[in-house]
Amino acid sequence: MTLPLRIKAPLIFFPALLLSWECAVWLAGAAKIMPYPSGVALAAIRDIADGTLIDAIAGSLRRVITGFAVAALLGVPLGLLMGLVEPVRRALDPIVDSLRAIAPIAWIPLALLWLGIRGNAALFIVAYAAFFPFVLNTIQAVRLIDRKLVDAARALGASPLLVLRAVVVPGAVPTVMTGARIAMAFAWGSIIAAEMAIGIKVNPGGAATVGLGQLMVSTLYVKRDINGLVLYMLSIGLVSLAIDHGVRAFQRKATPWQR
Amino acid sequence: MATLTTPKIEARSVSKIYVSARTGDKVEALRGVSFSMKPGEFVSIVGPSGCGKSTLLSLIAGFATPSAGEVLFDGKPIDGPDPARGVMFQDYALFPWRTVRGNVEFGPMARGVDKTRRAAIVARNIEMVGLAGFEDRYPHELSGGMRQRCALARLLANEPDMWLMDEPLAAVDLQTRVILQDELLRLWGDAGDPAQRRAVLFVTHGIDEAVYLSDRVIVLGRRPGQVKEIVDIDLPRPRIGARTAPRAAALIDHIWNLIRAEAAQAIVEEP
Repeated sequence: MTLPLRIKAPLIFFPALLLSWECAVWLAGAAKIMPYPSGVALAAIRDIADGTLIDAIAGSLRRVITGFAVAALLGVPLGLLMGLVEPVRRALDPIVDSLRAIAPIAWIPLALLWLGIRGNAALFIVAYAAFFPFVLNTIQAVRLIDRKLVDAARALGASPLLVLRAVVVPGAVPTVMTGARIAMAFAWGSIIAAEMAIGIKVNPGGAATVGLGQLMVSTLYVKRDINGLVLYMLSIGLVSLAIDHGVRAFQRKATPWQR
Repeated sequence: MATLTTPKIEARSVSKIYVSARTGDKVEALRGVSFSMKPGEFVSIVGPSGCGKSTLLSLIAGFATPSAGEVLFDGKPIDGPDPARGVMFQDYALFPWRTVRGNVEFGPMARGVDKTRRAAIVARNIEMVGLAGFEDRYPHELSGGMRQRCALARLLANEPDMWLMDEPLAAVDLQTRVILQDELLRLWGDAGDPAQRRAVLFVTHGIDEAVYLSDRVIVLGRRPGQVKEIVDIDLPRPRIGARTAPRAAALIDHIWNLIRAEAAQAIVEEP
């Protein structure tokens, strides 16, 4: 069977790269400070077998999804209000813009102070990070709605409420969906940082409610397992890809009228 | 109360001045436009680009208000859109997230018609415009001609007293347009009882189209839009199948001569 070059080239190059990486680490005698493929593979088998990895991913994902949902529930209505009512937008724009400029992880100290280390602090950071893409994209979505469709609905006898429900909301969906994708990426990006900043205090031994960030901190300071760290980095990337794939699939489902 | 002698539409010295929100510049789109329409009358508005014909239509639809003068519908001043005046837009303005059925159903739904009656209205109107079998398609899955039919079905489903049409056939190819002109006449009642007809205000670029369809043609001049002449189209009905009457050619020439100079001017000026 002949494979296209697109598949054949990586299929040869990638194992060759892993093999030379493995050899280089061993030949240099650097296995204590450098990760290597077989070590990462063993760490994967170990952490999957004892449930550590799945638990950590589940812990992080739970917080991301909760924070994402909170951000959507607060951000979309606020965005609608700001998009529809000009004075509200004028009044809130400077506040939203200044808050948005503060990196979510800069809130960690205050979040810890207010919400403690049990995980609500991380949740707050995630919700904060995901909030702004929802607000900004919803405002934009409302402003992009075709005036003619609103006129068409009114000429057909639609009340203002029906215009909102049947024209403004569905018209905003595609742009809000794009915001949701950005929000999800921000949420997943900031959960790792938040958990890392919080994690070391929570988890000296390996309690049940840890996330990937906490696991990485304890792996770095307690276990000193470099291969484990690489495994978690790979997991972060894979989960991120899976999330984006999922959001996009949902987006296609939610907007069947788009080509 | 509207009586037999009350005009369907009466525009009295209507002017419209737009003020640009950004620059504060004023643009006078219409100046002192007066005309009236009888019930059941098919009236077209033609004129060169920039004559304000779409502005006039949107005033009658109720999307905008005149800067001076007034527009009466059945003797009452127009304040806002009304389902009694159905509008068909140039690019159809179909709801992209609604199927053909969902679009046609929108008017009856907005007016609170119950589900069973709605289904019957929708089926009848979709059938009438020849879109049966395409009920579950989204607008982006339709050809230009089919979108146009869908927009027409949506308009008809509300059974409006009057049809306001803003260049509804501008975006389809020439052959489709000829077919749709005939269909429009058929639905309006070209061959039927004049008492059953709806009033139609039809904005178009096509002088031949205006002459073929209309009872009267309002010719607007540009900058600002003013009535140049209201031309009676004294061609007999039914007209379907009689496109090339010598009298029609004479009327087309007459109207074209009214706007030729300004139409040429419009080409070299900014829009």
